[in-house]
Amino acid sequence: MQKLMFKATLLLLMIFSVLTYAQTTVSGTVLDSDGNPIPGVTVFISGTSQGTITDFDGNYSIDVETNQILVFSSLGFSTQNFTVGEESSINISLEESTEALDEIIVTGYGTETKRETTGAISTVKAKDLLAIPTGNIEQQFQGRIAGVTVIANGNPGSTSQIRVRGFGSFGGNNPLYIVDGVPVDNIDFLSPNDIASTTVLKDAAAASIYGARAAGGVIVFTTKQGERSAKPTEVTIDFVTGFTDPNVGGAPTQLTPQQLADWTAVAQRNNAAANGTAVQYSHPQYGGTAVATLPDYLYASGVGSGLSASQVNVAAVQALYESDPINTFLIKANKTGTNWYDAITNTAATSRIGIGFQGGSEKGRFYIGIGSYSQDGVILNAKLRRHSVRMNSEYDITPFLSFGENIQATYRENRASGAGNGIASADDESQVLAAYRMATIIPVYDEFGSYASTKAAGFNNGRNPVRILEQNYADDKSYSLSAFGNMYLDFHPIENFNIRTSIGGSVSNYYYTDYGYRYLGDSEPQNSDNFGEGSGTNIGWTFTNIATYKRSFGSHSAKLLVGLEALNTGAGRTLYASGINPFSTDKAYINMNTVSNPVVGSNNYDGVTFYSNFAKLDYNFKEKYYVSGTIRKDGSSRFGTNSRYGTFPAFSAAWRATDEAFLQGVSWLDELKIRGGWGEMGNSNNVDPANQFSLFGQSKSASYYPISGGNNGATAGYYKSRIGNPNAKWETSETTNIGFDATLLGGKLDVIIDVWTKKTKDLLYQIPLAATTGNSAAAPSVNIATMSNSGIDMQFIHRGTVRSGTIGYEITVNASTLKNEITALAPGITYFGGSTYRNISPIRNAVGQSLSAFYTYKTDGYFDNAAEVSAHASQPGAGIGRFKYVDSDGDNSITPADRQFTGSPVPDFTGGVNLNLRYENWSFSTYLYTSLGAEIFNQSKWYTGLFGSFEGAGKSALALTSWNPTTLDNSGGPIWESASNLSTNGAANDWYIEDGSYLRIQNISLGYDFDRSKLERVGIKDLRIGVSANNIATFTKYTGQDPSIGGVDTNFGVDVGNYPVTPSYMLTINIRK
Amino acid sequence: MKNLNIMKFTKMIKIKTISVAMLSLIVLSVSCTDEFLEIGATGSLAEAQMSTQAGVDGVLIGAYSALNGVYGNRFEAPSHWVTGSVAGGEANKGTDPGDYSSINPVQRYEHDPTQGDLNNLWRGRYEGVSRANSVIALIAGSTVLQAADATRMKAEAQMLRGHFYFDLVKHFKNIPVFDENVAASDVALTKNTSDAAAWTLIESDLQAAYSALPETQSQLGRVNKWAAASLLAKAYLYQKKFTEANTLFTTIIANGKSPAGAKYALLDNFASIYDASQDNHAEAVFDVEAAMNTGSVQNANYFDDLNYPYNTGSNGPGNCCGFFQPSFQMGNKFRTKDGLPLLDGTHDLAANRVKTDYGVEAGDAFVEDAGELDPRIDFSIGRRGIPYLDWIEHPGKAWIRSQVYAGPYSPKKYIYYKAQEGTLTDASSWTRGYSTMNYTIIRYADVLLMAAEAKIESGDNAGALALINQVRTRAANSTYWVKNSDGSDAANYKISNYTAFASKSDATAALRMERTLELGGEGHRFFDLVRWGVAKSQLDAYLQNEVAQGLVTKFGGASFVAGKSELYPIPQIQMDIVNGGDEVIYVQNTGY
Repeated sequence: MQKLMFKATLLLLMIFSVLTYAQTTVSGTVLDSDGNPIPGVTVFISGTSQGTITDFDGNYSIDVETNQILVFSSLGFSTQNFTVGEESSINISLEESTEALDEIIVTGYGTETKRETTGAISTVKAKDLLAIPTGNIEQQFQGRIAGVTVIANGNPGSTSQIRVRGFGSFGGNNPLYIVDGVPVDNIDFLSPNDIASTTVLKDAAAASIYGARAAGGVIVFTTKQGERSAKPTEVTIDFVTGFTDPNVGGAPTQLTPQQLADWTAVAQRNNAAANGTAVQYSHPQYGGTAVATLPDYLYASGVGSGLSASQVNVAAVQALYESDPINTFLIKANKTGTNWYDAITNTAATSRIGIGFQGGSEKGRFYIGIGSYSQDGVILNAKLRRHSVRMNSEYDITPFLSFGENIQATYRENRASGAGNGIASADDESQVLAAYRMATIIPVYDEFGSYASTKAAGFNNGRNPVRILEQNYADDKSYSLSAFGNMYLDFHPIENFNIRTSIGGSVSNYYYTDYGYRYLGDSEPQNSDNFGEGSGTNIGWTFTNIATYKRSFGSHSAKLLVGLEALNTGAGRTLYASGINPFSTDKAYINMNTVSNPVVGSNNYDGVTFYSNFAKLDYNFKEKYYVSGTIRKDGSSRFGTNSRYGTFPAFSAAWRATDEAFLQGVSWLDELKIRGGWGEMGNSNNVDPANQFSLFGQSKSASYYPISGGNNGATAGYYKSRIGNPNAKWETSETTNIGFDATLLGGKLDVIIDVWTKKTKDLLYQIPLAATTGNSAAAPSVNIATMSNSGIDMQFIHRGTVRSGTIGYEITVNASTLKNEITALAPGITYFGGSTYRNISPIRNAVGQSLSAFYTYKTDGYFDNAAEVSAHASQPGAGIGRFKYVDSDGDNSITPADRQFTGSPVPDFTGGVNLNLRYENWSFSTYLYTSLGAEIFNQSKWYTGLFGSFEGAGKSALALTSWNPTTLDNSGGPIWESASNLSTNGAANDWYIEDGSYLRIQNISLGYDFDRSKLERVGIKDLRIGVSANNIATFTKYTGQDPSIGGVDTNFGVDVGNYPVTPSYMLTINIRK
Repeated sequence: MKNLNIMKFTKMIKIKTISVAMLSLIVLSVSCTDEFLEIGATGSLAEAQMSTQAGVDGVLIGAYSALNGVYGNRFEAPSHWVTGSVAGGEANKGTDPGDYSSINPVQRYEHDPTQGDLNNLWRGRYEGVSRANSVIALIAGSTVLQAADATRMKAEAQMLRGHFYFDLVKHFKNIPVFDENVAASDVALTKNTSDAAAWTLIESDLQAAYSALPETQSQLGRVNKWAAASLLAKAYLYQKKFTEANTLFTTIIANGKSPAGAKYALLDNFASIYDASQDNHAEAVFDVEAAMNTGSVQNANYFDDLNYPYNTGSNGPGNCCGFFQPSFQMGNKFRTKDGLPLLDGTHDLAANRVKTDYGVEAGDAFVEDAGELDPRIDFSIGRRGIPYLDWIEHPGKAWIRSQVYAGPYSPKKYIYYKAQEGTLTDASSWTRGYSTMNYTIIRYADVLLMAAEAKIESGDNAGALALINQVRTRAANSTYWVKNSDGSDAANYKISNYTAFASKSDATAALRMERTLELGGEGHRFFDLVRWGVAKSQLDAYLQNEVAQGLVTKFGGASFVAGKSELYPIPQIQMDIVNGGDEVIYVQNTGY
């Protein structure tokens, strides 16, 4: 507590330590070599702490005394000094420094200049993270970093699938996030306003300083700090508000009520033809005749289903309703059709406010950020709220000892609303899918205002998704409270030598409630009202000690870093409970004491500890030849003593060719650096912490038994739950990277190209065990498989001005290719499967293929006539209009052996284009993202594009193009019929596979910066107002809702009702004071 | 000069400081890290903790738990409602074509070796074998057990192991067989050459269990001596060892008693067999316990959760999902003439078929079949107009999901009573259909009929007649027939005993019919037909009848493939796993 008080006082002192001084005023404009004004140039008086910054037009004004020296500096320009004489106006022209090269990049455990880098490193501008309001910063990386693949969906708060240079493992391929030096698993707590810099360490040369945890790449975030100067405290306010449109027009077309009725009759005719029998027209709603007629009422309690108006005595049903409201329904047919996607979505508000205070003195600096983010989802009741306070400060206790801290407290509330909580579970059957499974003739509400559902017979077993979203989700709570940060001491007794000791970590608590209500209006009502709640707590910490020493002697300079680190990824407990049928569904009443059949459970875990030593040596000769070496040794509790430690080396070198004499005369080439690196990185995410142990466990479902013979309660039994492997060790990814950084055409064009390979060996793989060994025991992970990734990362930045400097532009193109291949699993094992969706198993992870490749029957159109059926290889369920599969093994029989690899969800190419234009006070930017070469397995077609899957449920317009004797092989799908077998809806085939390539206009924004001179009167420095439109257009051939489909690494790209990314429109106000 | 020295000195200090600081980082790194990196498993037990009396018994209970499956897959049902009853033509999948479509190939004899449900059946039973092996191995290795406990627990484990292998062999025939002495590394290399090894182990396990198990058990869920004897006798029957079977059945009928000590007997009321409040009764020889409030519906007949009439609302049980609809032919078999079934197949003739409401709307009038029927029809089949236990009269089409696809009937055995909802059902999951009724793997009526079969095969038709008539006599007790609300019989029930069997074939025909009339829907039929060698003729006739009565979409074009369809395929995934090396370990069954 005392510590806290001290810190608070310190901060307050810093905020108000603003000195004043008064002399003559000098003003002027700072221009670049082309005569364009440069905004944001720091102008300060040498030897003092006074300073200012140029406004948008390059203008500044400062009080100064004669003979004082003004220092003009700005990133990307060489610094200029000017000794003040008598003049009142000083205009300065700054030279572009070659020397974007002096840009400081935060890397592993330190910083380096761009000139020094030898590894593959990319940065993302802090302002880019602000462009589109999203609940998770990582989504903003999409298309902004070559070599990073991001698959995101539209669900507020969802975690994206983000992969740095491909997939090194069968799981746990998330990059390691480092926030102010502290490793974390996810960054959903971060407010984009607080971020100062983001660096992505892509190859081993850059990342292997993080050793055992670096194989998935490392993303280093640094949060904002004030400046060590006596400038007044700067206040920034960032305000965004807007809304997201659900894009109802973009939703797949469903059959109208009349169409669905007509096509039900078509199916019945087709059934009869297939079976060679007379047609049986029989449907509870559409009647028993060849011409389907729509009923007036779908259902009336006490009467039945499929009723004409004359059959229903509304007053009688009303009377029934009065006496038994929860079990009485009168559902009128909605003959014009319900748009269920429209019904489950709404226009959703988003707002974000970030207030930052930053400042400092010669002895210290601070940043305080207050952020509040609120995003509603387009799906009813989906929402994200995040409120955070961050305090960063640093203070010199003595000239050789400073203390600093970064700390953030966050409240986060996320309600997922039945559409998968993250991209990792994108293959859930969601409420989006449920909307398409409701027949359009069903209205949202019945005549009494209850939800209309499949109590009306003939529409299969769907549940009204509006009810699910409104009833079951509206009351759910899910929030977490967490604190994250670190404290450090910097000890620097002599120049160029520094020891930093830092202790950091996170403490978090979460709580959730989950309400589910029984609803008798469903054809298969859930059994009871249920209620669940749970909570958990987690503490993780990292203790880091680093010493660095720099030394130059003559043309040589070297930098040595050694460090040791100990950490626990997080230990904690979880507690959960559920129960059913409280006496009243009043929320104020329900708790675990008022429900029946309460079931409680809890879990504890001790986390995973790491202990690591590492060292890095950088050397250069004349700033021309650079070499760098890194080594890290990690030990982890995840592995047994036999192979607990792993060592990860890396080497890299760079040659600044443009410093060579023979390139000095080349006028178009300003800078060329050629880089190369090799190294190894580790991964252990994809292995259970208990992998080394052989264990017995117990399970209520799988090992309890009512041995006493009673009807109430069971006795605990035990079973072998895990077969241990004490010899498992790290997976190792070996990377090589060759690339160059070039600046051409007088600084107008930057080109960065990297060619890379990443080969993972000793890949931890759970070899599937024969059932005879007892499959309830988890198979041990063994180091056996290998995988390779390779690609080319490219970045082009072109900047310049036109119309004599009045229009400035910058265009950035990022592009990367990726080839992912499993190169070996285990001896004798060539593949392992993925999930099964309604008996459709589309995925096979196989040697020679990418992860999660699609392995299905290949169709050769449809059987167009009986002759084709009999001429074809024997195929179970073959029939006219059904899928005709290719007999790829030529044995004249369609068997599982005929399946082939038919696609991969891994994009071959991803890229982004970012264009910024500036004209006077106006600025315009647009940002495009593209993903090419990925396929999608559109599993939603199984539900809505085939009559026999959940017959009677809502169906899509695919019915209209289903096989018929006219369209034959050009049909959009197989014949419309009930049969369910291998030739109809019983197997994965390439009909479901679609090209998932797309180009999306992610953002278009227009901003206006007010003139500083006018703003001074109201006491602010900068005011910018902008408008933006996000995700306004997606160009794709994909027929599903949205082509951005994720999932877990060994099982992704299957669309089972993905939460779509839809357009949003925002107003932005930025104020700086 | 002095200055220089000072500089030198400072420099020395500098270098020293740096070296010390950097070295100390490295030195720190070597000490006391091993302890820091030791983190044990949470929420689990080590093998050493399982060797005590309580530990071994816990693992044994884990083995019992595998009786009703391990992975929660409905194909793991101890009742084999899919692989035994649906495949045996007593019922079809029910519901509509797309729902749980992996059952479609089973009912049409078009098994796909890659089918995941069959793999779960395989895995679930081998998990049972594995757990039983664990128990036996732990007993062998333990030094702290009382001899009596060790003997009993080992015998229980052997009985369970014998049962699991029995289940496997009757589905897949050619299975890998190993006991607790086979090293873990060799288990996956055990070949599936034939069924001989399985029968040898089954017999020796059950013989050992029969010898060592007590007659009664204080915990009624445990198996006893007579359960082991009955399963052993059944194993003899499956191997056509009729003499051994006959002898052992005779002993069981004379001396057998339930774990509670009740002498084996047929319950007076046929319906009591399917009543949770009567569990562990005198007719239950070997059953699977079910209970509520156990924290998981996997202890409450989860495998039957879909097997209720469809869309009943609060008027009926379960509320879901319309599976396991008795077949037309099953209904027809209950037709009697002078109280005896039609053994010549004429029950399927249009004139003899049981009249149903197939094609009749729920709101339209329907008059029930007025002909003679075996009273067991209305304990076995839910049909329109007949009281559905203590719920309402079955309303016909309103309770059927897709009558045109799956026929007019609903399942009726193993359905809980309205009066038991909430007290003998587990309400903690998504549907109401979790009953605490035990499923009886072997019930005494089955013992009597198996004994009768052994007698027929041993040439004792008269002995068989008595046993078959004993079963029929219970069904003939009109006190317990299904009644209308006014107390009258719900249908025109007529059942009488056989007077004599003129020949072995007459006796055999009567016996085979009696098994399905008595045990229909209890998972035995398919395996009976296969071991009798009549699967092809019987099941093709069944398919033809169902198509003729309207189930064209479901069964059109289906037929039983002799020489193939008798066995289920070895799951392809298991073949893939074990055959990965240089040697072929598993050979697929013929035809797949």
